[in-house]
Amino acid sequence: MRKLAPSLVALAALLATPASAETLKIGAPQPMTGPDAPFGDKFKKAYGMAVEEINAAGGVNGRMIEVVIEDHMAKNALAATVAEKLITQEKVLVLTGGRASGQAMEIASVAQRLKTPYMVDHPSADMITTKGFEWVFRNNPTGSIYPAAFDSFIVEYPGAMPRSAAVVYDNTLFGKTIAGAAMKFLRSKNVPVVADEAYPVNTLDFKPIMTKVKGTSPDYLLLIAVATTDAILLTRHAKEIGIAPRAFVGFGGGFGVADFASQLGPLAQNVFSSAAWSGNPNDPRTKAFYDKFHAKFGIWPHEHEVEGYAAIYIIADALRRAKLTGNLEADRDEIRKALAATDMTTVFGKVRFGAWTGPTGDPFTNQNVYSPEHSVLAQWQKGQLLNVWPQAVAESKLVFPDPGTGK
Amino acid sequence: MRGRAGAAAWAVAAAAAAALPLAVKNSFFLHVCILVLLWTALGEAWNVLGGYAGQVSFGHAALFGFGAYVTAILYLKAGVAPWWGIPLGGAAAAAVSVPTGLIAFRLRGPYFSLATLAVAELAKLVALNWEWATNGPTGFLITSLPPLTLFGFAVNWESKAPFYLAALALAAVSMGAAAALSRSRLGAFLVAIRENEDAAEAVGIDTVRAKVLTLALSGLLAGMGGGLYAFYFRYIDPDAVLNIGISMEMVFIAVVGGLGTVAGPLVGAVFLTAVGEAVRERFQVGHLVFYGLFMMLVIRYLPEGIWGRARGLAARAGEVRRGAARG
Amino acid sequence: MGALYAMIGIGLTIVFGVMRIINLAHGEMVMLGMFAAFFSQKLWGFDPFLSILVWAPVMFAAGVLVYRFLLRKILPGGELNTLLYTAGLSLLVANLALLAFSGDYRTITLQYAVAPMRPLGIAVPVALAIGFGVAVVLTLALWLFLGRTDLGRAIRATSQNREAAVLMGIDVERVAAVSFGLGTALAGAAGVLLAPSLYLYPTVGELVIVKSFVIVVLGGLGSVPGAIAGGLLLGTVESLGAVYVSSTYKDGLGYVIFLAVLLYRPSGIFGVGKS
Repeated sequence: MRKLAPSLVALAALLATPASAETLKIGAPQPMTGPDAPFGDKFKKAYGMAVEEINAAGGVNGRMIEVVIEDHMAKNALAATVAEKLITQEKVLVLTGGRASGQAMEIASVAQRLKTPYMVDHPSADMITTKGFEWVFRNNPTGSIYPAAFDSFIVEYPGAMPRSAAVVYDNTLFGKTIAGAAMKFLRSKNVPVVADEAYPVNTLDFKPIMTKVKGTSPDYLLLIAVATTDAILLTRHAKEIGIAPRAFVGFGGGFGVADFASQLGPLAQNVFSSAAWSGNPNDPRTKAFYDKFHAKFGIWPHEHEVEGYAAIYIIADALRRAKLTGNLEADRDEIRKALAATDMTTVFGKVRFGAWTGPTGDPFTNQNVYSPEHSVLAQWQKGQLLNVWPQAVAESKLVFPDPGTGK
Repeated sequence: MRGRAGAAAWAVAAAAAAALPLAVKNSFFLHVCILVLLWTALGEAWNVLGGYAGQVSFGHAALFGFGAYVTAILYLKAGVAPWWGIPLGGAAAAAVSVPTGLIAFRLRGPYFSLATLAVAELAKLVALNWEWATNGPTGFLITSLPPLTLFGFAVNWESKAPFYLAALALAAVSMGAAAALSRSRLGAFLVAIRENEDAAEAVGIDTVRAKVLTLALSGLLAGMGGGLYAFYFRYIDPDAVLNIGISMEMVFIAVVGGLGTVAGPLVGAVFLTAVGEAVRERFQVGHLVFYGLFMMLVIRYLPEGIWGRARGLAARAGEVRRGAARG
Repeated sequence: MGALYAMIGIGLTIVFGVMRIINLAHGEMVMLGMFAAFFSQKLWGFDPFLSILVWAPVMFAAGVLVYRFLLRKILPGGELNTLLYTAGLSLLVANLALLAFSGDYRTITLQYAVAPMRPLGIAVPVALAIGFGVAVVLTLALWLFLGRTDLGRAIRATSQNREAAVLMGIDVERVAAVSFGLGTALAGAAGVLLAPSLYLYPTVGELVIVKSFVIVVLGGLGSVPGAIAGGLLLGTVESLGAVYVSSTYKDGLGYVIFLAVLLYRPSGIFGVGKS
C-alpha cells in the first residue's frame, strides 16, 4: 500500500499535465565541427536566444519549441544524412539552417522528397529556390540579389558610375553567382569589365593576380570571397601591390566580420562590403535585438545571427497559425501551408514568400519577395562596419571616392 | 571460409541482407546501411588495385567522380535511365582509366601514388572549370527519377528500399569481382607483381597489361559507385565527388578492413561508418581524427587489417582444434 | 615565396633520401610551426621571426621522437605501409589541431610589416622579404652542415648508399633519427617564417603537402640543391602563371609539370635525384 501512493501521485501528475506539453521540434543541420564551425556556432547562439524568448513568452499556443542542431561538418553527403535523421528519427516538424549552399541543396532535396518544410535562413545559392520545390522556403536574399544595393548605388549616387571595373572572385558557386550577377549589371550599364579573374578558394598568394589587375588600372575593384581568409588576403595584397581604384567593393561574409578590420587595421578603411544586410539598424526592434545579443554574448550580431534569429521567429509564426493535430505528415503539410501564407516583419525585415523572377532570369518559388530590399552596401569606417546605402538604412555618410587613392 | 561452404554462407548472407528492408522500416537505419554498402563497393574497388596489385592510389576519387558526372550528365541531358546510366558511368570511368594507367604505371611504388594525387587534383580542377561539360561549381541536381514498374509494383523512389537493393547489388558485384579476381590467373599475376615487380617481369608476366586491366576493373566499380551516389544523393558538385577526402576514405576502408581480402572492405566500411556515426553524435569531434588514428594503429599492429587478423586467428584456432582432436 | 617553398621541400627530400620515406604528414609539421609562432607571439609576445630560435630545436626534438616511437617500427613493413602510416598521421595531427585550435583562421600582424617595401619600384611585402632572408640563411647553414660536418657527411652517405654507410661504421639509426628531426625542424621553421605572411588554419597542411611534393620531384627526390631549385622554380612558375596564364589554371600548371617530370625525368629536372 505504501508503494501505491507515490505511484498514484506520479500517475496523477502525469495525467494532470496537458497532452500538448510535447515540444515542437525544429531541426537545424549546421557545421558544428570542422572548418565552418565558427558559423555553426553563430547560428546556435541566435537560435538559442530566439527559442528562449519565445518559450519565456508562453511558447507557441502553449507549447514549447526546441531547435535540434545536428553537425554536418560542411559535407554534402553528411548534410543529407543528418537531414534524414532529423526528419525520420527526431521527427522534426520543420527544418532550417544548412549554412553553405552545397549542404543546403542536399537538405532541400531531402526535405522536398520527404515532404518536410525547410525554411532556409542563410544559404544563398539561387538554385535552392529555383527548382520548383514547394516544400522549400527562403527568407534571405540569394547570391544574385546580394549586389542589389551596390547596383542601386552606382546608378543613383552622383558620379558613382564606374568607368571600368575589375572583378576578382572565387571559383565556387557563391563566387561565380555573385560575380556573374555583378558583371551582368555592369555590362548592362556599359561599364567595361577590364579584368575577370577567378581564383581557387584558400589561395595563399594573391599578389600575382593583383599585379595583373593593377596593369588594367581599374576604376573600381570588386573582390568576391566566400572564405574570410581570402577576403582579408585579397584586400591586403591588392593594397600592398598598390592598386588604387576609386572604390574597393567586397562581396562575401568575410568582408563584414570584425576580424576583417582587426586583421587589416588601417588597410580596411573605406572598403565597401556589399551583402545581405543584418537588418535595418534604424529600426528600433532590430536595434534592441543587437543590444540584447551583444549583452548576452559579448559580440555584435551580423548577417548570420540576425538571419538565424529571424528564421526561428518566422517558423514560430507559422507554427502558431498551423492546425496541428499530432499526425506528423498532416502537421508538416499544415506548416507548409502556413509558411506559404506568411506575412510579417522580423528583425531581418519584411517577409512574404512568393513566386517571382530574380536577376538570373530563373523563376523563384517561395522566395521572400522583399529580398532585394535586404541587400545593403556597408563601409568600413574607423574599424566599424556601417551601412551607407540605401539612404533609408544608412548609419553613416559614405566616403567616396576612396581618399587612399589620391585621385 | 573457403570452397563450397564459404560460397553457400555468402549466398545466405546476401539473401538475408536483401530481405532486410522487409523487416526493418527504420529509414535512417537503412540509410546508414546504404552508406556502408556503397563504401564497401568503393573499398573493394580500391582494394583490387591497392591490396591485390599493391599499387597504392590516392586519387581514386577521380574515378568515382567521373562515374558520377557521366551518369548524371547522361540522365539529365540525354534521359538515360539509371539502370543503364550507372553501368555506363562505370564503363566510362574504366575507359578513361586505361590511358591514364598506361601512362601512370610507368611509375613504381610511391611515385605512382604521388602521380595519382596529382591526377585527382587535376580532375577536380577540370570539373570546376570546364563549365560547358560539368556545370562548374554549380554541379548537377537530380530532382526526379524515372518511373519504373517491377513485377507489377511501381517503384517508390522516395523509400530507401530500391536504393538499398541497388547498393547491395553493387557491393555484391564488387565482392564477387574481387573474389573472382583473387582466384583467377590475373589474380596470381597481381600477387607476383605486388611482391616483386621486377621478378614478375623477368618471369614473363606482362605487368603493364595486368595493372591496366586491374585499374580498369577498379575504375568500373568506383565509377558505378559514383553513379549510384549521384542518384541517391541527387546532387553532385566537384567538391562533393572529387575531393581528396573521398580518395583517402577508400584507402582507409580497405586498409583498416584488410588489404587484399574480399571481406576486408566490408568490415572496414562497417567499422568506420559505425565509428563515424557514434563519434559525431557523442563527442562532437570530427570523425576524421579517428580515421587517422585507426589507420596508424592498424598499420602498426594489424597490417593485415581487422578482417585479415580475424581470419588469421580463426585459422589458428582451427589448427589448435584439429591438433587437439588429433592429439 | 619560392625560397620558403624550397625550405619545406628540403626537409621532405632529406627524409626521403635517407630513409626512403615519403612523409605525408610533412604539411602538418609546417602547420604546427605556423601555430607555434602564432601562439608564442600571442601568449608571450615573441617576435615570430625570432621565435625560430626556439621552435626549430623544439620541432627537431619532436621529429626525433616521432621517428623513434612511431615510425621506426613501421619502416620494415615497406614503403607503401609507411606511406599509408604517414597519411594516417597527417589526418590525425590535422584534425587534432582542428579540435584544439578550432577552425578559425588566424593571422599574425607585425607592426613593422604593414607597409610594403619598394625596392626598385616593385612592391615587396616586408614579412615575406624577411622570411626569404632567413630562409636563405638557414639553407646556407644547412648546406654547410651537410658539406662540412661529420654528421652532415654521414647523412649524405647514408642517403647515397645505406649498406655502404653501415659498412663504413656509420650509425645509420642515429642518422635516420637526426634526418627526420632535421626534416621536421625545417618544416616547422618554414611554417614560422610563413606565418606572418599567410593565414593559419589547421588544415593548411593539405595545401602545403601537394606543393612540397611537386617541388621535391621537380628537383629530384633526395637532392637538396634540387629541392632548392625546385622551390624557386615552382614559386616563379606560379607567380608568372597567375599573371600571364590565368589564376584558375596556375595550380593545374603545377600539377601538369609535376606529372611530366615524374614520367620523363624522375630524377628531377636537373637529373640529380634518385629514381
